[in-house]
Amino acid sequence: MGLVRFGMQSIAGLLVISLASFSVITLMPADPVAIAIRVWSLPATDETVAALRAEWGLDQPVPLRYLHWLADFLGGDWGRSFRTGEPVLAEFVERLPVSLSLGLAGLALAIALAIPLGFFSAAYPGSVADRMSRALSVFVQAVPAFWLGLVLLWVLGVQLRWVRPFANDWTAIVLPVLLIALHSVAVLSRVYRRDLKETAGQAHFRTALAKGLSERQALWRHGHRSALYALLSALRSEAGWVIGSTATMEILFGLAGISQFLVQSIAARDQMVLQAYVMVIAVWMLVLNASANLAMRLLDPRLARCPG
Amino acid sequence: MPRLTVLAALAVFLCVGGFWQPYDPDTVDMLARHSGMTASHLLGTDHLGRDLLSRIMAGGWRTACVILSVGAIGFLFGTLLGTAAAVLGGWREKVILRFCEFFIMMPTLIVALTAAAIFGLSPLSAGLALGLACVGPHALLAHSLSQRVLGQPFMLAARSLGVAPARMITGHLLPNTLPLMFAYVGNQAGLAAVAYASLAFIGLGADPSKPDWGSMLFEYRVFIFDHPMLMIWPGTAVALTVSVMNRVFDDGQE
Repeated sequence: MGLVRFGMQSIAGLLVISLASFSVITLMPADPVAIAIRVWSLPATDETVAALRAEWGLDQPVPLRYLHWLADFLGGDWGRSFRTGEPVLAEFVERLPVSLSLGLAGLALAIALAIPLGFFSAAYPGSVADRMSRALSVFVQAVPAFWLGLVLLWVLGVQLRWVRPFANDWTAIVLPVLLIALHSVAVLSRVYRRDLKETAGQAHFRTALAKGLSERQALWRHGHRSALYALLSALRSEAGWVIGSTATMEILFGLAGISQFLVQSIAARDQMVLQAYVMVIAVWMLVLNASANLAMRLLDPRLARCPG
Repeated sequence: MPRLTVLAALAVFLCVGGFWQPYDPDTVDMLARHSGMTASHLLGTDHLGRDLLSRIMAGGWRTACVILSVGAIGFLFGTLLGTAAAVLGGWREKVILRFCEFFIMMPTLIVALTAAAIFGLSPLSAGLALGLACVGPHALLAHSLSQRVLGQPFMLAARSLGVAPARMITGHLLPNTLPLMFAYVGNQAGLAAVAYASLAFIGLGADPSKPDWGSMLFEYRVFIFDHPMLMIWPGTAVALTVSVMNRVFDDGQE
């Protein structure tokens, strides 16, 4: 029951997003045909313009074009890039793994680090871990990840000469993942800590202490599950942030991901690429949301029992 | 009080940058390239001999525009929608909340990225996009705050005394929710400065001749070997601005 409803909602959401982005993108002020003629130095005759418009399907009314695009998109034909003439889908298939692995590795690292950090800062208030997670959460809010990346490149690359800045080697993978994770570590560890603290104020926690568990054991056995639940629900909003920082990291470290592709396509008003990008991001958000929801259901059996 | 002094100093610095800079931020002076920090160029000059302090001040004004418009849009529409949802109740409440939740699902930076891609990046378009992206969370906060206040006994008392609905909202509901909303909006607007810098750094539709902190960082990133201070200063400006905003508006939330 809940699954069907969730599926219907997701499909409706995706349709709304596709319609909204399609209309906004088609109403863009600049004309891709004019840009293409300028870039490729084609003769700007009426025949060329008409031929290009016909080739890209721009001569048809917008609602018809949307339906056409939707049918093609679902059938796996994402159109051809106005800029390169290559199929958009092939380009995305090539680039998506880069962005996905950056984002997912960042998220996974963030969760892996946030749990111990949050746990020890809750178990020992005022300790190094507690102060560190507090300082980190203030720090990452104010310092943009891409600037931190630049400073790191300067310190590690220029001052210490441990890495080669802007080189195409392993550091161009490890540093972005670390930087993407940093923001989420701060946010998630605070969420985790706050929930553990809440558990520590409750009656069943005092009972556990009275039964002879140490505070740390009691926190882990009776607080971890619900804190993990809070962490997962914070993860849903954190996912959007991760996607955004993946974009800046791709630019900074010159990684061939989908955001880099988008930036290259923008100048040409490459409508097919823009549209595909919005859809890919929307699906990505949806999948992350759904998996967080699923994990939350697994953690909390009460949710699984009640429909919707 | 010291907090407000710092905020005022920041506001003055950002606003002065809109009207006056020591040098024209776009004037190229090839004789004074990479001059370093001297008396005439306090923060030095870049690879084209442009005065860095002037460029940072001009970029500060553009950042301030973003912060102001994000704050204004998020605060206005968020409070309006959230309060309306809480007061109206019923199916209208459900529709508004569902709409806001749907809006939140789209990541802020992606909304702004798309807007910047389509309309070109300017303080206005970025402020609009980031501000609209802020409306969802603001509305949800306003809604939950309003609901809490509406459940209080004094609201019941006011209602039974026959206070008119409009008077209830302006006189009893908003005074209780606005202070918290205001703190939240200040925090969010500070974050918008980071988002704007990220957008300018990505360079989507940004006008590279305009001095934005983010686009300066992108332009100067290639000089980290010989002139690292070029990328230190604009980044410091972002970090300082945001941390001041966060400190002032974060009234012991944790």
